[in-house]
Amino acid sequence: MAGLQNSGIFAPRVIEEIQAKAESGLYSIRGFGTLRERRWATFDDLTFLPCSLTRIPLEGYREKCSTKTVLGTRFAKKPIELDIPVMITGMSWGALSLNAKVALAKGAAAAGSSNTTGDGGMLQAERENSRTLIYEVLPSRYGINIHHMRMADAIELTIGQGAKPGTGGLLLGSKISDRIAEQRDLPIGVDQRSPARHPDFLGPDDMIIKVEELREATDWQVPIFIKLGASRVYDDVKLAAKAGADVIVVDGMEGGTGASPAIFQEHTGLPTLAAVCEARCALQDIGLYGEVQLIIAGGIRDGVDAAKAIALGADACYIGTASLIALNCNKPIYEDDYRAIGAAPHACHHCHTGRCPVGITTQDPELMKRLDIEQGAERVRNLLQVMTLEIQMLARSCGKSDVHHLEPEDMAALTLEASAICGIPLVGTRKVFGR
Amino acid sequence: MAEIDAAGHTTREINAAIRQCIADSCKEITVRNPGARHNLAVAILDDAQIRLAGSAGYYCGGLIDGASIEIEGSAGWGVAESMLSGTVRVHGSAGSGAAAAIRGGTVVIHGDAAARLGVSMKGGRVIVAGNCGYMAGFMAQKGTLVVCGDVGEAFADSMYATVCYVGGKIANLGTDAVIAPMDPGEAERLDETLSAYLPAPLRDAKPAAADFKKVVAGRKLWNFDKREWRIWQEAL
Repeated sequence: MAGLQNSGIFAPRVIEEIQAKAESGLYSIRGFGTLRERRWATFDDLTFLPCSLTRIPLEGYREKCSTKTVLGTRFAKKPIELDIPVMITGMSWGALSLNAKVALAKGAAAAGSSNTTGDGGMLQAERENSRTLIYEVLPSRYGINIHHMRMADAIELTIGQGAKPGTGGLLLGSKISDRIAEQRDLPIGVDQRSPARHPDFLGPDDMIIKVEELREATDWQVPIFIKLGASRVYDDVKLAAKAGADVIVVDGMEGGTGASPAIFQEHTGLPTLAAVCEARCALQDIGLYGEVQLIIAGGIRDGVDAAKAIALGADACYIGTASLIALNCNKPIYEDDYRAIGAAPHACHHCHTGRCPVGITTQDPELMKRLDIEQGAERVRNLLQVMTLEIQMLARSCGKSDVHHLEPEDMAALTLEASAICGIPLVGTRKVFGR
Repeated sequence: MAEIDAAGHTTREINAAIRQCIADSCKEITVRNPGARHNLAVAILDDAQIRLAGSAGYYCGGLIDGASIEIEGSAGWGVAESMLSGTVRVHGSAGSGAAAAIRGGTVVIHGDAAARLGVSMKGGRVIVAGNCGYMAGFMAQKGTLVVCGDVGEAFADSMYATVCYVGGKIANLGTDAVIAPMDPGEAERLDETLSAYLPAPLRDAKPAAADFKKVVAGRKLWNFDKREWRIWQEAL
C-alpha cells in the first residue's frame, strides 16, 4: 500500500532475526564469513597508478615480472620457495571433505604454491599431493602428531582467525563422522567446540618458549609462522615478531570460516585493508620489515586484491573462500539440494550443516562424490594462475619486474578513509588525509 | 649409557647431543645439570631412556613418541605436551598444563601439579601422587586422569570422554562434570595402575582405589540444546 514504509532500524531482516531467536532460543551459527554490505574501507577503495610519463611500464606480454616468493628467511634453515605469492589457507579436514582437501593440495601444487592443514590434523593424501605443506598448530591440538609435523615444510602456530578472533573453532556434530572423530579423538556426533586458548601457553612471553619448542621439534629446519586474527594488529604483530616468528600471517575480518556464531563474523576484528597497513607499520617500527615476512588473508578475491595487499606491504596472500568457490561453492548446480537446506546458489553459507550441495563442506560420502578431485584441482590451479597473471599485469603496468616491488606509491586512494588508513594521497589531491 | 653435562650449553646443543647419542645407538642417557632449561628432550621419537638429573623448564618431553623420560627434579609448564606414546615421570612437582593435549603414553607426577593438568588430553594416562590446581581436565577428550590427592576448582570442566579418579577432596566440579559410580572391577584396575606406576611408599600412602571418586562428563555440553540454557550460559 502507498505510504507504508519499512523501518530503517528494525528492517525486515532484523525483525526476522529477532523472531527466529525468540522461537528457537538459539543464536545464529553459520559458515562462510561476513555477509554485511561493505561500508568500511576495502581494497576497492584504492586504484593503481600505472606508468605514463614519470615512470616506464614493462611490456605486458613480453618482459619478465618475477612472482617467486620466499618465506621464512629469518631463522629457518629451509625457507619455503613458492612460484607465486598466492597460497591456500588452512581449512580443516572435517570442515572440508577429503576430496576438497586433496583437490586444494593438488591444485596448489600444480600452481607452484602451498596449502595448509587446518584445525584437524594432516591427511596422508594431503601430504602426498602437496608441493609445500604448512602444518597448523592450533589451540585445539586436534590430530597433533609429531611425525606429521616433521613432514611439513613450515609450521603455523595459530593464535586466531580473522572470521572469529578470540574464539575457538566449531564443528557441529553432523560433520563428526567416524573418521573425523577418530582423527580428533572425539566422541562421534558431538558438537565440537575448539578451545580459544592454547593449552600450554597463555601470553606472548610463554609463546617465545613455544616457538623454540617447535623449532627444536623440527630441528630449526622449517619456518615458523604465527597466525593472528586481525584485532590489535599493531601490537600483536610486534609481539609475534618478538616471539621469533619467521613469518606473520594476519587474517582480516572478511575471512571465512566453516562454522561460528554469526555475530563474530559480522562484528569482530579489523578489515583486511586496515590489518595489512597496521602490520606493515608494526614491522617497520621495530626494524623487521622485510626480515619477517608478512602474509595477508581475509576476503582476497582476485589478483587485484592480492596486488594491492602486496603493494601495501604483504609478501604473499592466503585465499580460502575464493579457492572453495573455484571448487564450485555457491555454483548454481544441484539447486534442489541448496533449497533443501534453506539456501540458494550465490547465497549459501550453510557450511555448518554438513550438507554442502557441491561436496566441499561435507563428510557425507554421496555428497562428497560431487566434487571430482582432478577437476577441482584443475580449477584451483587455474584460479591461482589467473590471480598471478592479474598481479603481474598490474605490476608490469606500474613498471615492476618483480611483483614484490609493488609499493604504496603505485596507488591512490578513492576515499578519505582509505587515504587515512593507507597513508596514500586521495585522488585529485596531493594530500594524505588524517596526517 | 651416556652422560651429557648440560652446564654452559644451550637447549639446542643439549637436544642435539641427546639426538646424537640415540643416533649412535646409545639409548640410556643421563643429562646432568639441566638447570631448568626449557624444551629439553622434546620430540624424541625413539624408545630411549633419558634421565634429567635436576629440574626442567617448559615443555620437557613435549611431542615425544616412545621415549621414557625421568625428571629427577620438578618440571615447568606443559611437561610431555602432545606426546604420542612413552612415559614421562616427574619426581618433583609440575607446572601448569602438565600433560596438555597428550594423545597417548603415561605421565606420572610424584609431587603436585599446578593448574590445567591434563587440559585437552586426547588419550593416554596421567597419574599425580599429590594434589593439583584448578581446571584439571578442562576440555579433556579421552584417556584417564588420576589425582591421588586433592583437586582444585572447576575440576573436569567441559570434558568429552576422559575418565577421572580423585583420591582426595574436590574443591568443586566444573561445568558438566559429574561423579559416577565405578563399574565392577574398575577399582581393581585402578589399583593395578597405581601400583604399576607409583613407587610403593608413595602408593601405600594413598587412599585405597575403591575410595577414589570417579568423575566423568555429564554430556550436557556435548550438543547444543536450548533446554540447557543455564548450563551454556555458565559454561566456561
